[in-house]
Amino acid sequence: MTTANSSAQTGPTMNRHKVGMLFFISSEIFFFLTLLSSYAYLSGAFGNLPHQSLAVPRTFVFSLFLFSSSLTIWFAERAFHRHRYGAFRWWMLATMLLGLIFLSGQAIEYTELIRTGITLNYDVFSSAFFTLTGFHGLHVITGLVMLGSLTGLSFAGKLGPENESAVATISYYWHFVDAVWVAVFTVAYLIFI
Amino acid sequence: MHNLYSTVASVLSPASPYAADIGRLFWITFWISMVILVAVSAFVIFNLIRYRDRGQEGLPPQTHGNMVVEVTWTAIPLAILVVLFVLTMQTMAAVSPSSHPKADPVNLDVIAHQWWWEFRYPGSDVVTANELHIPVGTPIHIELTSADVIHDFWVPELGRKMDAVPGHPNTMLIQADKPGVYLGACAEYCGAGHAWMRIRVIAQTESDYQNWLKAQAQPHPAPKTSLQAVGMGLFNGLTCSSCHVVKGSGQPEGHVVGPDLTHLADRQTLAAGVVPNTPAELKKWLADPHSIKPGVYMPNLHLTSQQLDALVAYLEEQP
Amino acid sequence: MRQEPIAPHALPFPPLTRGWGWLAWFSTTDHKKIGILYMVTSLFFFGVGGIEALLIRIQLAAPDGKVLTPQEYDAIFTMHGTTMIFLVVMPIFIGLANYLVPLMIGARDVAFPRLNALGYWVFVLGGIVLYLALFTGSLANAGWFSYAPLSEAAYSSRPGVDYWIVGLIETGVGTIAAAVNLLATIVRYRAPGMTWRRMPLFVWMMMITSLIILYALTPLNAGLIMLLGDRLLHMHFFRANVSGGSAILWQHIFWFFGHPEVYIMALPAFGIMSEVVPVFSRKPIFGYTFVAGSGIAIGLLSFAVWVHHMFAVGLSTPMNAAFSAASMLIAVPTGVKIFNWSTTMFRGRLRMTSSMYFAAAMIIQFVIGGITGVMFASVPIDWQLTDSYFVVAHMHYVLFGGSMFGLWAGVYYWFPKITGRMMSERLGRWHFWLAVIGFNMTFFVQHILGLLGMPRRVYTYPGLPDYAALNLISTIGAFILGIAVLLFLWNLVSSFRHGEEAGDNPWDAWTLEWATTSPPPEHNFEKLPPVRSARPLFDLNHPEYADHARSSREAKA
Repeated sequence: MTTANSSAQTGPTMNRHKVGMLFFISSEIFFFLTLLSSYAYLSGAFGNLPHQSLAVPRTFVFSLFLFSSSLTIWFAERAFHRHRYGAFRWWMLATMLLGLIFLSGQAIEYTELIRTGITLNYDVFSSAFFTLTGFHGLHVITGLVMLGSLTGLSFAGKLGPENESAVATISYYWHFVDAVWVAVFTVAYLIFI
Repeated sequence: MHNLYSTVASVLSPASPYAADIGRLFWITFWISMVILVAVSAFVIFNLIRYRDRGQEGLPPQTHGNMVVEVTWTAIPLAILVVLFVLTMQTMAAVSPSSHPKADPVNLDVIAHQWWWEFRYPGSDVVTANELHIPVGTPIHIELTSADVIHDFWVPELGRKMDAVPGHPNTMLIQADKPGVYLGACAEYCGAGHAWMRIRVIAQTESDYQNWLKAQAQPHPAPKTSLQAVGMGLFNGLTCSSCHVVKGSGQPEGHVVGPDLTHLADRQTLAAGVVPNTPAELKKWLADPHSIKPGVYMPNLHLTSQQLDALVAYLEEQP
Repeated sequence: MRQEPIAPHALPFPPLTRGWGWLAWFSTTDHKKIGILYMVTSLFFFGVGGIEALLIRIQLAAPDGKVLTPQEYDAIFTMHGTTMIFLVVMPIFIGLANYLVPLMIGARDVAFPRLNALGYWVFVLGGIVLYLALFTGSLANAGWFSYAPLSEAAYSSRPGVDYWIVGLIETGVGTIAAAVNLLATIVRYRAPGMTWRRMPLFVWMMMITSLIILYALTPLNAGLIMLLGDRLLHMHFFRANVSGGSAILWQHIFWFFGHPEVYIMALPAFGIMSEVVPVFSRKPIFGYTFVAGSGIAIGLLSFAVWVHHMFAVGLSTPMNAAFSAASMLIAVPTGVKIFNWSTTMFRGRLRMTSSMYFAAAMIIQFVIGGITGVMFASVPIDWQLTDSYFVVAHMHYVLFGGSMFGLWAGVYYWFPKITGRMMSERLGRWHFWLAVIGFNMTFFVQHILGLLGMPRRVYTYPGLPDYAALNLISTIGAFILGIAVLLFLWNLVSSFRHGEEAGDNPWDAWTLEWATTSPPPEHNFEKLPPVRSARPLFDLNHPEYADHARSSREAKA
């Protein structure tokens, strides 16, 4: 007879939080796949509008900021594992800054579109574009809130080695948000332009 | 009142080569299915009777499975399905318009509306509603579209069904081997009037069909009585003509909102199949469309009895 | 075998009568209580959906029925489908899994108890919002599939569809939370020794179901958000005829969710069958690996068959052909399950409990639903029969004759574990026979109605030959089925109060949930038997037959 003790099975490498987050992210992938394939499906009716109204090079530059934030959060995680919490906080702040720069790029893009009259309900392109990039933006904002919470907790001295899985799962999420943008940028700015 | 629905509209009584092809495939699949159903049911019931617990000691042999058996009952259904798939592909090709080049076909534009059918005969001015005349023995190529939501054209004895999708024109084939009336209906849920979006196909010999087409191409008969003349005046003067066309009424033919009423007397039903087309029923319909077909877009114009009589006299005028 | 009296302190039921104890149900994070909450909520909605079904059958009992207006009828059939799918079948299986999966894998709790509670309450909120539309005077009435453009503001201008969208997004979010929790629990919380190949098949099927939920419900939510954008913000996704939107895109999104959804409702029943049939046949499941493996195959294929709901739309021939092939292919793993269950009975020692009766009827009825399913995979047959009453018959044979009968088999099987009391076999037998007669009477004739050209979703119909008689038979059958359901509910209530005490393991079953008391204590287990095969309790109770010693026994013989 063995004692039923669930915690005995939660090994250090893949605990329930990480497993849960990975399942959740895999589900989110299908959310974005639906938005992406709808964008592609409807693109036949877009006409010349994406080409005229989207600033590809500028958005690419802003994308580089988001992509590099995957690197900074990796450094943050590494610092956390080595218990170098000062470095951890700085890398986290850098990650958040990069995310905010990306968001400001999106804000500029949206402002320009809306100024030229291309609003949410302008036509089928604007509907698809704002929905696709808007939901990605919401995910970036969610990620920033989570990063901010972690960083805040760390500054308050309430984040220790026992919170390893919190840092890891939020970092998974941030990498995912980053990867989604690779797909969104490819579809909206490179293929159906 | 004669029964408008005394004939069947069965998938299993095909009256066209296409419906017959699909019917044959159905029966093949049906008999294969029956063999499987009877075999599984017999096996289950046999087990229930033969191996029922009768209070024996101990346990039955603890068998865990058998690879050969598993592979067998994976492979046999797979083989049956491969056969069925080949038959499916053959039948699909046999009933699709592309395999029946337009040698001497009749073309027809079908436009579905909430909740009625518009039938246009290209090459002539003929437009009818809800009732479709076709010559027998000829493939009919249908161009199918919708003016509003998704509908579905289905006359089971004459061929497949197909959706009428806004923004996505479809083509399909029907044919009738023998003269007669064939019943059908809209098969895609399309709102409050979905139940009363019936189709009536009247298949005629080639000469009868040509005569019908010629008669339909004529304008609506001019008023012969003073009542009919009043009726024509009302048709034009009230709002009727902003939705309905009657060729020969003197109004310009505009945007199609409601059914074309030219030669209404020729049709068997009113309101896409709800009631038989008689002057008495037409009067009731004009007096209160919603009591006959709830949800219909035709408004109640609150007409007086005299106005109703005049409109009925004009619309039901025989040539 | 321990036969302890039911210890009141161990009951998963907080006191229902005295003081404020019942409030504990609102704050609980115990997977067993949440499981019971799910099941009770589903039973409530089962009543609602059942009354809707009876209203439908009353209206259709005779040609030219005048009981309901078309607007009322349309709202009722829309809500019947939506309720039964989203508020009954899905949550009742999730509830059962919530209760049983941790017990079956020997865990003390689930991975995320609070997320689990959140998922339940968000699901409840969704159910309330769906029906809250009543207060606007317009329930959703565009069908449970809400095809655009009928579901667009131009054709459904009243707010019912908006409530429907928001309600479904909420039930979807709640269901995804439940699925994440179940998956993490199964992956992380299995008892020592419980390898993948020793996991109970119900747990296997719930794991696959949870994965399907993750990948089918998010696309639905994305589609619902787009539809809501169209309706409220005048966006252009599905507004064909207006602005380059596509009515067909909605169908692709909806059925990409919609067909996997069928398996979300069927696989848990397959799991129940794979537990019930072996226990009452006194034999292990025939072909464990094939039953589990065919479940995986079904899960994968379920995402590759959605276009068979769209054969009449007029898509390209290659597209129709490819999805026809995939749809036929999914019949193979489904057939493997049928053959394995019926062969499990072969040379067994069948204890004919109510549970086993339901399981046996499920096999035969599910085969009927399966073979008509193959007919719909054959494109030309689909072209004739889709959107007719033949489909209504087909899907009720799958979802009622299959899933619901499977669920009933499971309820009679696990009720003793959950309440500590046996269900009445006498009432169970009445319930069974009335359900079999009522169900088949209601739905078998609908095959014929479909073949006779009767379209579905019509609020009334003209009196074509045989329509009146067949519809009347169907309506009478529906009322017999209604009586069967009432008997079932009565059996639940009276057995809960006065049923015979069950003891820990009344069926001499072999999975871990039977190793603890009935009902199990808050922390589930005092001790766990060693898990050396898929039947740990069987190994313990019948050492001479023990599965884990099989190879050495066979070597000796």
